[in-house]
Amino acid sequence: MFFHIVLERNMQLHPRYFGRNLRDNLVSKLMKDVEGTCSGRHGFVVAVTGIENIGKGLIRDGTGFVTFPVKYQCVVFRPFKGEILEAVVTMVNKMGFFAEAGPVQIFVSNHLIPDDMEFQSGDMPNYTTSDGSVKIQKDSEVRLKIMGTRVDATEIFCIGTIKDDFLGVINDPATA
Amino acid sequence: MSGEEEENAAELKIGDDFLKAKCLMNCEVSLILEHKYEQLQQTSDDPMNQVSQVFEKSLQYVKRFSRYKNPDAVRQVREILARYQLAEFELCVLGNLCPETVEEAIAMVPSIKTRGRAQDDEAIEKMLNDLSLIKKFE
Repeated sequence: MFFHIVLERNMQLHPRYFGRNLRDNLVSKLMKDVEGTCSGRHGFVVAVTGIENIGKGLIRDGTGFVTFPVKYQCVVFRPFKGEILEAVVTMVNKMGFFAEAGPVQIFVSNHLIPDDMEFQSGDMPNYTTSDGSVKIQKDSEVRLKIMGTRVDATEIFCIGTIKDDFLGVINDPATA
Repeated sequence: MSGEEEENAAELKIGDDFLKAKCLMNCEVSLILEHKYEQLQQTSDDPMNQVSQVFEKSLQYVKRFSRYKNPDAVRQVREILARYQLAEFELCVLGNLCPETVEEAIAMVPSIKTRGRAQDDEAIEKMLNDLSLIKKFE
């Protein structure tokens, strides 16, 4: 899920940026520093949308650098265990398939794919029901439920399932 | 938040930070990101180079999965859902997935039923109807 939240960060600024444009410099450095980062607590920072408040700067002894506490609003993407969302399939193999929902990767193991779907190898590996009516392949859109998340330093990785009511391939919106 | 183990969106356990935060539906994120992208286009020749991979992937994702395209419809969806005493998180899951039946809505957002609010099937059905009307008249 995407959220709009307020975060705080202590920004260190080199003295050469002091002057009329100090605020602009601080903001553009903030965007460069935080956009695209990921933390386990807040998820992926997608975009900074506004500055709430810039506190008083504190000069660091000996270096001349100044630390500003900056409060900013941003859009983050944070997946939760138990959340249901839609994703695009990126890769299919006999172990299961990978899907992407925005910045996050989700793996759905073949144990968590309905039992009536069989793996078919070939140019376009896919999972298909025995009557061929439902097919999961690269670029399919699926609705899945997140079973668990694993956080490492720069990424959040999820395990998902489509073995539940109202989950699985989404009807083609053009025909629905 | 006390431990990752506790978290479960189905029971609305998503940590205090996020429970109080404003959730965004995909269509709202799409409006925000496109606006930001347009701003970048004005200031630089090659905006795709300026943005992070996370931004690019998110923008593609929300464009693909936005149920409502025009800003007025997006605002209406939020207004309608806001009448039903939903938590932010529940509101956005419903807005994103647009379930068609009451059973589907409850499967998508099990917490509607469990939090002891007087959310009976009729109310849910009315809410889903209102939503599908917006979609129809967009």
